[in-house]
Amino acid sequence: MIGNDIVDLQFAKKQSDWRRKGWLQKIFTTIEQEYIVSSKDPNLTVWKLWSMKEAVYKAHQRYLRLSPKFNPKDFECMLGGKVNVGGYRYSTNSEITQQYIYTVVKPSRNGYYSSVCNKDINVYHALERCICQGLKIIAPISIQKDANRIPAIYIDNKESNILVSLTHHGAYSAFMFSIENEISIT
Amino acid sequence: MTREELLTKLKTIIAPYVQNQEKFKNLNENTDFINDLEINSANLVDVVLDVEDEFDIEIDNDAMEKMLTVKASLEVIENKLALK
Repeated sequence: MIGNDIVDLQFAKKQSDWRRKGWLQKIFTTIEQEYIVSSKDPNLTVWKLWSMKEAVYKAHQRYLRLSPKFNPKDFECMLGGKVNVGGYRYSTNSEITQQYIYTVVKPSRNGYYSSVCNKDINVYHALERCICQGLKIIAPISIQKDANRIPAIYIDNKESNILVSLTHHGAYSAFMFSIENEISIT
Repeated sequence: MTREELLTKLKTIIAPYVQNQEKFKNLNENTDFINDLEINSANLVDVVLDVEDEFDIEIDNDAMEKMLTVKASLEVIENKLALK
């Protein structure tokens, strides 16, 4: 199952005061709070763990077809990138730059393609272009969301088996997609 | 406190976090914090903490996980106030 989440670090700084009383306790388990306070860069650790929780939330909701919930504490993050929730375990990978933290949930069997875009780029167009080129599709492609707001790719108006996940925050957007078989994109 | 009064207080609490002002103007019980008002998910924690402060109640994890819409939040607040 796939999922992704991006945190614009400048934007997060403006929007959220994680040092506010009670804030960390509402989101993070006692162990995660330990990771945060004992890390060299607590701010970065807060947002890294948060993006892991958000990315896995998307994958997990999709996998079990769950309705929306705000339960960040149920997603228990480990420093190596694994996240446990309700008896399931997901593997994540986080890319950390000066500007953003971008986490993807790695599909267990399939390959995937993932890309970060600036906000001036239309992420939907970038995604469509990437799928067309990568999978050599010439039919019209569209992205539609279901009742749980999970996006799906339609090729020639038929739902495809391409899994897609999108994320936006501040100045950045990102997308990832995966299909049943291994894919290679140049 | 009537439902009207609760709603007014809740509106004041969420106002600073709203990114879609158009939807905020037309707020009703079915309004969704993330999908309609485009409140950032990290700011939902601030909404929960502000609600705790404003009404002097404690919102546990089970209550917090429901607080994604105006309606669900009003119900959580009402339930917690009734227990006081």
